[in-house]
Amino acid sequence: MTIKKLLRHETILAVLVVLALIVLAAQSPRFFTVDNLLNQGRLMTEVGLIAIVMTFVIVTGGIDLSVGSILGMSAIMLGVFWKNFGLPLELAIFLALMVGTLAGLFNGLIITRFKVPPLIATLGTLALYRGIAEGVSQARSVRGYPDWFYVLGQGQVLGVPTQLWLLGIVAVVAAVILGMTTWGRMTYATGSNETAARFSGLRVDRVKLLIYSASGFAAALAAVIFVSRVSTTRSDMGTGVELDAITAVVLGGTSIFGGRGTIIGTLLGLILIQALKNGLSLAGVKSDGTIVLIGAVLILTILISNLFHRDGTR
Amino acid sequence: MTVEVRLERVSKSFGGVRVLRDVDFDVRAGEVHALLGENGAGKSTLIKIIAGVHAPDTGLIHIGDQQFRALSPREARKGGIATVYQELLLFPELTVTENIFLGNAPRGRLNMLDWQQMRRRARQLLDSLDSPDLDVDAKVGSLSVANRQRVEIAKALSQDARVVIMDEPTAALADADVERLMAVIKRLRERGVAIIYVSHKLPEIFALADRVTVLRDGALIGTRPIAEVTEQTLVAMMVGREIDHMFPKAEAAIGETILKVRNLSYGQRVKDISFDLRRGEIVGVAGLVGAGRTELALTIFGITPADSGTIEVDGKPVRILSPRQARNLGIAYVPEDRGLQGLVRPMTIAQNTSMAALRHVASGIFISLTREARQAVEAIASLGVRARGPDQVVAQLSGGNQQKVVLGKWLETHPLILIMDEPTRGIDVGAKAEIHALMSRLAKEGMAILMISSELPEVLGMSDRILVMHGGRLAATIDRADATPETVGAAMTQAGAAGVAA
Repeated sequence: MTIKKLLRHETILAVLVVLALIVLAAQSPRFFTVDNLLNQGRLMTEVGLIAIVMTFVIVTGGIDLSVGSILGMSAIMLGVFWKNFGLPLELAIFLALMVGTLAGLFNGLIITRFKVPPLIATLGTLALYRGIAEGVSQARSVRGYPDWFYVLGQGQVLGVPTQLWLLGIVAVVAAVILGMTTWGRMTYATGSNETAARFSGLRVDRVKLLIYSASGFAAALAAVIFVSRVSTTRSDMGTGVELDAITAVVLGGTSIFGGRGTIIGTLLGLILIQALKNGLSLAGVKSDGTIVLIGAVLILTILISNLFHRDGTR
Repeated sequence: MTVEVRLERVSKSFGGVRVLRDVDFDVRAGEVHALLGENGAGKSTLIKIIAGVHAPDTGLIHIGDQQFRALSPREARKGGIATVYQELLLFPELTVTENIFLGNAPRGRLNMLDWQQMRRRARQLLDSLDSPDLDVDAKVGSLSVANRQRVEIAKALSQDARVVIMDEPTAALADADVERLMAVIKRLRERGVAIIYVSHKLPEIFALADRVTVLRDGALIGTRPIAEVTEQTLVAMMVGREIDHMFPKAEAAIGETILKVRNLSYGQRVKDISFDLRRGEIVGVAGLVGAGRTELALTIFGITPADSGTIEVDGKPVRILSPRQARNLGIAYVPEDRGLQGLVRPMTIAQNTSMAALRHVASGIFISLTREARQAVEAIASLGVRARGPDQVVAQLSGGNQQKVVLGKWLETHPLILIMDEPTRGIDVGAKAEIHALMSRLAKEGMAILMISSELPEVLGMSDRILVMHGGRLAATIDRADATPETVGAAMTQAGAAGVAA
């Protein structure tokens, strides 16, 4: 029993992360410095927020491909609400978060009400939301935000990047919800056997609606941080971020078929990817080489984990 | 009679658990050899070794005069062994002909498929199985379970099978279809085919088998000619003890009406159903497959809310639109399909037990794992679940123990009304008696139980009253005193003189 527990996916991954950190630190003296690591944490936050909620989505057996587009759309709306409508920035931020949440809710409604498979539904809204972002922005970018706004994306609190605090809080809250609450249990049950969950009187559809809304909210939050970090708003923001998030989640041991996965795993997956990207580029490896390596690591980790993860279920 | 297949001192373990120990087994041309044992006794493993799915750890397999340490599925097929599995392995989108010849289709010129010959041979095969009414061009997905099974048998015969393994072939069949299947099996036997017949149903075994082999806990208990055994001796061999009362519905005080259904209708399957259910009462629902029994349960339980009609629970009129609502009203449903509807198989006993009443083990939104585990331990003890502990994954349990977990899950909701759909399907004799005893106990404690069952002895033995459904309608209500196999059977098939239940 104890050996089996030790060979859990998360443990294998943690060992890999430590190994990668050691190897990368040996490759470049600039890698293992507090400044660099904190900066990497800053860069990781946007994908991280999305990946954490994506873990819930994938545990229910679903997928959300539209998060990158929601990020772009929310970012554009933030600029539009503030600059074009002249609203106070605080209100604009709130409204941008609402836009993202509603976009996620809309995904959830398509999936639960009309029984469209999540892959198809969010593939559709991926195009839809990006189209809205581009149509509204008319290829104009918004700049010149007030200084206090940049604290979020560029500033520090107690020596740690502001957004990293946010990521930490979201991660802890998400881990508690998924691991310890009735909501988390319903999420796992839905992903393992939706029919049995429904037959047990669980509100499967409501769970899904909430999770997809949360996914939209996380993407919008990432958008606000993104805008603050790069000081500008553009409609192509967040393109492809859905794949980075999904990679981290799957690398973290969440089953793409649902029913299995943890927040810790996702965080380890995120850290491993970010460490490889940064460490390899510091060591002088070209970025295409890095992508190849990340792909290889993803497949290898899943293979190793499958090798050890054989439960007695036929 | 020639021996077609013989196993010699075969053993097999899965993950350290011995499932077969030094078992000898053989089947001869022109005989039906019944294989009997409780779930987990090793029957499935034995037939899978013969079919080439599993390789034995030790022992030998003889086919004709050839000897094997292990068979591949291909070698088994070449050796003339075909299997008709319980979960029929057909392709629903392909036609009957395509299914029969998939993988060994006759080829014509240029190595093209010879469709005419295929269809002609499919027709011949089905006719030889006494099924001239089966269309060779119909999609298999549109066929009834009984007809699909015939297609599977035809498929076995198309490969010139000399040994046909049948794994619980009658588990999902209505009585009329069972009789037809038995006729087909007898025909195969006359042709000299050797048949290995796995079943829980003793009457079938006495009607069909020439010899019977009993396994218990992976060990061979004995192989006997059927003439030398009685039902009692077989049951004793299977469970290692005598079971005297198979259906012990104890007397319970019948209380006030708790469920009142009037003119309930849903679609084409539930039409104008009215009945009452009282505390302490077990009401059986009998009927052929497709009579609308499960649909009635699903309508009461809110999966498919009623189109019209009324339901009163404990005197209050209610509209039930979801299972959640049904649960909150005190209605529990132990479904027909345990694996799909009843359990989350990868989850533990504790997690399954708490699923329908998570609030009982939670403080606010937080689940208390200790309270959940304690609840599961209590359920395991009171229901007699045989398991390593509350943390065991339910997929690893036998059918009977899985059913107890489903029941345990619903008892945690403290229901007033318990609907049990085929409560003992696919469950071995010992566990079956335990489930029946549990139902009796619950009725005695004042629960109202609606029991849907395709097994007539079960319906007759357990029910205070029997509702017989036919074509979605209530065909008859029969009191315990008047219920005999004849009266219930007649009501089940009545009016069916002209129309065949599809």
